[in-house]
Amino acid sequence: MVEKKEYKEWPPYAPGTYVRESDIRDKKITYTWWEPEVQYSWSLGQAMSKFLLGLKEGKIYGIHCKPCKRVLVPPRMFCEYCYGPTEEWIELPDTGIIETFSISYLDPDARRIEDPILVGVVDLDGTPPHHGFMHYFGEMTKDEIKIGMKVKAVWKPENEREGSITDIKYFKPLKGGGD
Amino acid sequence: MKEVAVIGGGMTLFRRHLLETGKELSYLATKMAMEDAGIEKDDIDMVVMGSAPDAFDGIHMKGENLLDGAAGVGKPYVRVFNGGGTGVFAPIAGWWHVASGVADICLVVCEEKMGNTYPHPQTAFRHIWDPILDRPLTPNLVWLFAMEMNRYMTVHGIKKEDIALVSVKNKRNAVDHPCAQLADPNITVEDVLNSEIMAWPVNRLDVSPPSDGAAALIFCNKDIVHRFTDDPIYIAGTGWSIDSTMWTNRDLYFPQYVAQAAKMAYKMAGIQNPRKEIDFAEPYDPFSYKELHHLEGLLLCKKGEAPILTREGVTQRDGDLPVCPSGGLLGVGNPIAATMGQKICELYWQLKGMAGKRQIPGDPRMGIGQAWGDIMQMGTVMILRRG
Amino acid sequence: MGFLEKQTDPTSPMHWRGDMQADYFYPSGVAGDKFFKHLMENDTFLVSKCTKCNKTYCPPRLYCEDCYVEIPNENWKEVPPMGRVKLYTVAKLNAHGKKLATPKIMALIDIEGTNSAMLGIIASGDIKKDFSGVKVKAIFRQKDMREGTIKDILYFEEI
Repeated sequence: MVEKKEYKEWPPYAPGTYVRESDIRDKKITYTWWEPEVQYSWSLGQAMSKFLLGLKEGKIYGIHCKPCKRVLVPPRMFCEYCYGPTEEWIELPDTGIIETFSISYLDPDARRIEDPILVGVVDLDGTPPHHGFMHYFGEMTKDEIKIGMKVKAVWKPENEREGSITDIKYFKPLKGGGD
Repeated sequence: MKEVAVIGGGMTLFRRHLLETGKELSYLATKMAMEDAGIEKDDIDMVVMGSAPDAFDGIHMKGENLLDGAAGVGKPYVRVFNGGGTGVFAPIAGWWHVASGVADICLVVCEEKMGNTYPHPQTAFRHIWDPILDRPLTPNLVWLFAMEMNRYMTVHGIKKEDIALVSVKNKRNAVDHPCAQLADPNITVEDVLNSEIMAWPVNRLDVSPPSDGAAALIFCNKDIVHRFTDDPIYIAGTGWSIDSTMWTNRDLYFPQYVAQAAKMAYKMAGIQNPRKEIDFAEPYDPFSYKELHHLEGLLLCKKGEAPILTREGVTQRDGDLPVCPSGGLLGVGNPIAATMGQKICELYWQLKGMAGKRQIPGDPRMGIGQAWGDIMQMGTVMILRRG
Repeated sequence: MGFLEKQTDPTSPMHWRGDMQADYFYPSGVAGDKFFKHLMENDTFLVSKCTKCNKTYCPPRLYCEDCYVEIPNENWKEVPPMGRVKLYTVAKLNAHGKKLATPKIMALIDIEGTNSAMLGIIASGDIKKDFSGVKVKAIFRQKDMREGTIKDILYFEEI
């Protein structure tokens, strides 16, 4: 039976048993360990296939959504705003401006690193404002990086490109463009 | 559509690791909510479970696993999930059940065990990224928040000191919450700014911790609420909206999807002037800047104005618009879906005058709670009203 | 190709390979922790009984899922690790679809003195035998090798 409890303050208590990291290390509690093995093979889809093949050739492809009058990059088969099909591919310049960035002292496994990684979003030229993709920034220091800086892609050599976003190594400052 | 009242709430302790299994946590939170309402399992018509990715607990189809702890055995039961938005979306789903008339009494339970991913939930968070475009760059989820925070700061010219004030306020507020994981009565802005930089501009004390925990709420319709209380708290408005996953094709400085969800909720509640008519707010604060970002998204202040309100003390418990009086995620903890405990259970306890040392002075009558999720996409909003 | 173009080249679209890396740590829970800690020292099962409906759970629970009441400490007791086979199957393939060196007999065993059944492996060379209703008992790891997980039960053996 659960009777109504007339406590004055809620929550009246905090049920739960606190387990410290040391309890786990010293095996004060029992637990089961599990390492799942799950492999995936994701279909790229038509639009992304062409985009990645384009990267292998050293080109960045975007696609038009005519009703919305925007060039989509990363490209997709349909526009998620007007829900219509996209058409007409266009090769975009590999330059843009920094939309936003972060200076990370954490590596992908959340471990601390001394030399920070510079990462952010590049707003590509030839697209409406705020359209681009995420990538690394290089050949600039953490004090130099700023939103609005003009940047250009640095590509891997042709024989090392495999049809992946990493075919671009990073974006570097575009000198001489007037910043 | 029937009017829906909240008649019980409960939550567990929040910590990085709790011994209890997900089922046991669900049971403990539900038991407290039942004690509040004075009902038992047979009185409940339907159950809604909210829990974020299976990948945290490490149990595929965890909705089905958790149901016996959530009083779901032999009942109509559904699990809903939209990442961090689940904490307010699960009560919205509970509201559907009662407002539509299919259930008189509905139990909503939210549970999360982030401690099960070892060594850190980052390993599960890694899989939120697009496998083709983003994962080859081996990103860390903190980067995403750092990029949004940077954009927000740059567009409005906000300094880190102003954002750090949010961590200070919430961690101090959490001292009065019995379930709190990271309460700190003495924390200062310097502590936040001097804490280690994770990904600039995010420092360690700008981030809420991953947690284990559960929370529960019980709803009933207006026709029978007199059996439980003379002073009912009603759900005045609900709203939810989501934006595209193509986050690199949006300007992140303003959460458009939160504004859309808020407008939907204000319309339902008949609120014309949110800043005047809402007495207090519990926006989602997984990161310190997020409280400000969401306050603006909830249309409770102009774009760029939230840091000014914080600096002027307007958002303190005794201010004109108390924000996160519970201590929020920054102070109490962040077990994703179970943050319903701070976001909606807190609204209910505050409106009933039962929040103890956290109680906002001045007899609040209308509160708004909000959650946010996925890749900068989901906005879920609920407004509770007294009487 | 946009949506309106015909796809004629079978080698494109491509695929992207990857995996989901995550390691998991599952604490046994309040009830489970008591069960496994007991099992590390004893060769019996701890079980718990609901005060309202008298259903006895093995492995034990903190609360009864039907009545939704907490099961107090006084309602816990020990039972010998024995029971009867309720259902069984002979597995010839492993989880990845590869043939097993020796077929495994997986069984659901009604534990004596409880209303619950546990999953276990029956150690027997005779895969053609009909195990339904057969009485079995659990064989455990050596005490000093026990780790506090379900694997401390090595297998079930016919009595």
